[in-house]
Amino acid sequence: MRAPSGPDVAVGDVLLAVENVSLSFGGVKAVNDVSFDIRKGEIRAIIGPNGAGKTSMLNIINGFYQPQQGRITFKGEVRSKMRPHEAATGGIARTFQNVALFRGMTALDNIMAGRTLKMRRNFFWQILRYGPAMHEEVAHRRRAEEIIDFLKIQEIRRVPVGRLPYGLQKRVELGRALAMEPELLLLDEPMAGMNLEEKEDMSRFVLDANDYYGTTIALIEHDMGVVMDLSDRVVVLDHGIKIADGAPAEVKSNQAVIDAYLGVAH
Amino acid sequence: MGLLYQIFIDPFVQMGTAPDLFVQTLWEGIVGGMLYALIALGFVLIFKASGVFNFAQGIMVVFAALTLVGLYNAGVPAFLALGLTIAVMFGLAYAVERAVLRPLVNQPDIILFMATFGLTYFLIGVGEFVFGGDPKVMITDQLFLPKGAVTYKALGGIISVQKLDVAATVIASIMVAGLAVFFSKTRIGRALRAVADSHAAALSVGISLEQIWVIVWFAAGLVALVTGIFWGARSDVSFALDVIALKALPVLILGGLTSIPGAIVGGLIIGIGEKMWEFYWGPLIGGGTDAWFAYVIALVFLLFKPQGLFGEKIIERV
Amino acid sequence: MAPNAAAGADTFPKLLVRNARVFGARPAMRHKDLGIWQTWTWAEVLDIVRAYAVGLHRLGLKRGETIAIVGANRPKLYWSVMAAQMLGAIPVPVYADAVADELAYVLAHADVRFAAVEDQEQVDKILSVAERVPTLQVMLYDEKRGLRDYDHSRLHPMEDVIDEGRSALASDPSERAWIDDQIESGKGSEPSIILYTSGTTGASKGVVLTNERSIKAAADTVTFDKLTENDVALAYLPLAWVGDHYLNYAQGLVAGFCMACPESADTAMQDLREIGPTFYFAPPRTLELLLTRVMIRMEDAGFIKRWLFHYFIGVARRYGERILNGESVPLMGRLLYSIGSLLVYGPLKNVLGFSRVRVAYTAGEAIGPDLFNFYRSIGLNLKQLYGQTEAFLYVTAQPDGEIYSDTVGPACPNVDIRIAENGEVQFKSPGMFTGYFKDEDKTEEVMTPDGYVKTGDAGFFDEKTGHLKIIDRAKDVGRLKDGTLFPPKYIENKLKFYPNIREAVALGDQRDFVAVMLNIDLTAVGSWAERNNVVYGSYQELAGHPLVYDMIEKHVAEVNKSLSAEGVMAGAQIKRFLILHKELDADDGELTRTQKVRRGFIAERYAPLIQALYDGSKEADISTQVTFEDGRKGVISARVKIRDMKTEPVAVAMGKAA
Repeated sequence: MRAPSGPDVAVGDVLLAVENVSLSFGGVKAVNDVSFDIRKGEIRAIIGPNGAGKTSMLNIINGFYQPQQGRITFKGEVRSKMRPHEAATGGIARTFQNVALFRGMTALDNIMAGRTLKMRRNFFWQILRYGPAMHEEVAHRRRAEEIIDFLKIQEIRRVPVGRLPYGLQKRVELGRALAMEPELLLLDEPMAGMNLEEKEDMSRFVLDANDYYGTTIALIEHDMGVVMDLSDRVVVLDHGIKIADGAPAEVKSNQAVIDAYLGVAH
Repeated sequence: MGLLYQIFIDPFVQMGTAPDLFVQTLWEGIVGGMLYALIALGFVLIFKASGVFNFAQGIMVVFAALTLVGLYNAGVPAFLALGLTIAVMFGLAYAVERAVLRPLVNQPDIILFMATFGLTYFLIGVGEFVFGGDPKVMITDQLFLPKGAVTYKALGGIISVQKLDVAATVIASIMVAGLAVFFSKTRIGRALRAVADSHAAALSVGISLEQIWVIVWFAAGLVALVTGIFWGARSDVSFALDVIALKALPVLILGGLTSIPGAIVGGLIIGIGEKMWEFYWGPLIGGGTDAWFAYVIALVFLLFKPQGLFGEKIIERV
Repeated sequence: MAPNAAAGADTFPKLLVRNARVFGARPAMRHKDLGIWQTWTWAEVLDIVRAYAVGLHRLGLKRGETIAIVGANRPKLYWSVMAAQMLGAIPVPVYADAVADELAYVLAHADVRFAAVEDQEQVDKILSVAERVPTLQVMLYDEKRGLRDYDHSRLHPMEDVIDEGRSALASDPSERAWIDDQIESGKGSEPSIILYTSGTTGASKGVVLTNERSIKAAADTVTFDKLTENDVALAYLPLAWVGDHYLNYAQGLVAGFCMACPESADTAMQDLREIGPTFYFAPPRTLELLLTRVMIRMEDAGFIKRWLFHYFIGVARRYGERILNGESVPLMGRLLYSIGSLLVYGPLKNVLGFSRVRVAYTAGEAIGPDLFNFYRSIGLNLKQLYGQTEAFLYVTAQPDGEIYSDTVGPACPNVDIRIAENGEVQFKSPGMFTGYFKDEDKTEEVMTPDGYVKTGDAGFFDEKTGHLKIIDRAKDVGRLKDGTLFPPKYIENKLKFYPNIREAVALGDQRDFVAVMLNIDLTAVGSWAERNNVVYGSYQELAGHPLVYDMIEKHVAEVNKSLSAEGVMAGAQIKRFLILHKELDADDGELTRTQKVRRGFIAERYAPLIQALYDGSKEADISTQVTFEDGRKGVISARVKIRDMKTEPVAVAMGKAA
């Protein structure tokens, strides 16, 4: 259940720390000198108005973007630069705002793809479907089935995901991320575009994943109700700057946050 | 009436009355088609994995064949030369990933396409500089490839089959089967399909794009080497060979840019169609039809089935 | 009667013991879990259930007590039923989708002290009404997920209970003797289950069934349909419904066949295909849904496939039914049909999971002849039955070779049926219930002094076939002024089987004759209009079109003809009809949300039209208020035409009151 590298972090300790990170595209500062941390076992929300730099922040954490300044400490290891697949190897999984699935594959194959990093047998055995590779395949399939069971998507197991309704695609995407058995799960607007019932289902899955698998979760979300219900701590970004950080109730009554959401000019 | 008869009836009558000639033509079509298919396969592999239309695929064929022959001429034993050529193709794949693909990641497709132009001229330059520009003879004997022809008395006539063609067909089939198994059954194969579907998603599950690119370019290089050996054996090894890459274009339009079976079936259709047309209908218009037949077929396909025979139907939610 | 399939066992636990002995290594139960079908043999099931029963006993479950069973069709829940029965306790299954109120009512009414439930959802539901069920002390659950942090003083995973029973059996030989004695001392006259009927009217009632009666009934039908230990059924219908308990549980134990549990409710269709059951039950609406899905897929299929499909379905319509009934068919027809089997019916049945089905039943509501004949024509041996919870399901069933879409068959073996004077069907059957749990009054209401059960349904025996036909709820059946029976729903259903007719309202109670008001089906009639160059701008315009009236008139005439052939119904032929100027709509209160006609409201709202139907006018004006989809209200006015119908000669006026 552990990612292969790095020291273990105890529940409640800092799993990932972002320190004075800045990122700009051309002249535009997407993220400006932001610092915050994510503790092991918590659900951490990142919120803010449109263009606040939330997705950029997520992209920095999982290595899609390289920050120009600042440093990131993950499981006690400081890093200035890392590639996405290194982040994945280190135990960071994510979902995307607009759903990035392998559209031609079935739901099951998508979730199996999440097991890629855990597969170690060489391809010669895989071709022959024999020996240790077969055992390994069976073990991975079992994990995938557990996740299918967890997310209650048995009936779409064999359906190419391109044909699924949006809400289910999001669920499959969550499944693929969970299949990686990540230490840190980044969710980019997991409830975007969902109806109320789907939102409730998804909230339940997020909470259950946190509880059942003990996965630390950082999520971006627009629906304030969802954020308040789900998260342990909230960090608020606006125009790339951190304007608040704390428990949901504190953040909600924070004047700067209220201003940012109401669009008061700076 | 006479003309209609000549177009619509006579060729089929000929096929019926002289089945030996028909079979002979069919065989030649299959052999030609196989080689077209191989080149198209190189394109498909790279396009699937990286979304790049690799203009340099044709020149990679020449470059591989030239390296092989050049090394042999420089005194390297034949099989060692083959091994070294494979190593060179790997080096090429690695270099392309490092020097071309990685720096250009997230750039528009057209930029990458242009980069493959650059690669083409780079390979021509290096090839000529190292091995010289003069046509060379493929080292078929030294690689123990069979030569000569066998003839069969059958169907009331004589059918003659070049042994080299048989070898080419067998080896090409084995290679295609091997690639198919590799890409459908292994972790790397799954990863390739994942990369073809979504780069971002592939990255997020820990698939290394760099690794996949090297593998795919290397596979395309191997395909190019095999194509080069057999094509070179039929004519000479020279930069003129790269015109056959142009023949791959209609094959790709037929088979679809993303389908491995499409490349093979498309190649066979073009190969067989071309020979048949030339043999049975060519005389009606003075011959030389194989210069344009493939492109006309491709045009027809573009009009009626632009995604190709096997091209992925884009599955969209309604 | 054929040799008793139950071989003398008079309780379900004894049957289980017998099956473990006779069919020991054969599969008893299957369940798809984590994508893989798990199988338990009869011997294994007996082992588990024995251990489970011991575990339950240690938790305090005693003979005669009740235990609620709540959840989907899962082996552990069926085992809970078996284990309770083994101890002489009475299982009380409750619908998994029951809302908390219903659940609380049943649990409290049945005095349950134990509840065996599927998962967290059901645990939460029960906890939310716990104070209304004071007797409830112990809860068992199957699925552990989400329950880890719950207070476990009164909550146990079934797995642990079974394990505890198993280790008790292993460590103490007297336990084994004790439980075997429990099985042995169980009496056939003891209640085996209480099934609560989901009351359409008032609170639900607990139907008490006994071991020996249930087994007798199941043994009769197992013989009737020649079910054996080689059969397989998919248990996908609600566990608390009499159908599941009868068809799968009771028949399964009697015949020793394998009962497969689907992976989840949503995967039932796929599981059906994988399991390939030999015995199958589906209500008409499920069959309709399946057919619609097939049709949609066919519309998307390529040209050749589509043509093949339609051509061979045509062949099947002509010959399939006759081939299935073993009648004579021209050689050409037989040949075409076998080609069709190869190309279309076989693959189609395979997709639907019907490839191996030997016996299939449908029941619950009237099934359209087209739908019924479609499945029969492709070679599915689909039959109808009529039953009730109070009868432990079967009252009538169609024997092989005597299948009609509009009857429910003759009385089942050993079932006695009579038609009361008011047209109500009454029966006496081997499996009939002993009474409603804790409800003497209701029991007396339903049971006649001479021991027949009143079904509440009106029906008659068809003269030609000798089969029973159910026409309506007895209380809804009215009478014309001359005393002729008037079953509105029966007439309406006959009309609604025509695709062109969407809704029908029959009038006639305490009147001189029967008249109907119709809604046309906009899709069906619209496409007819397109083919026949009938131009229309709105529903209202199309509904009033003379050609549409002509077409509907033909349908009504056919209905009259079919009514006239039915003796009792001949007097209830339709004399006048009209097509309503607007569609009946739930938003306007004319239909219930489940699309049932609200007669009273319609009678009021369309009073002018009804008056015109009976005063001989040729047309009538009406304006009605309507609610548009966006919530706005408006008024539609129209002049509606009325047509007179010729009626077929009435042969014998049998339906008149004596």
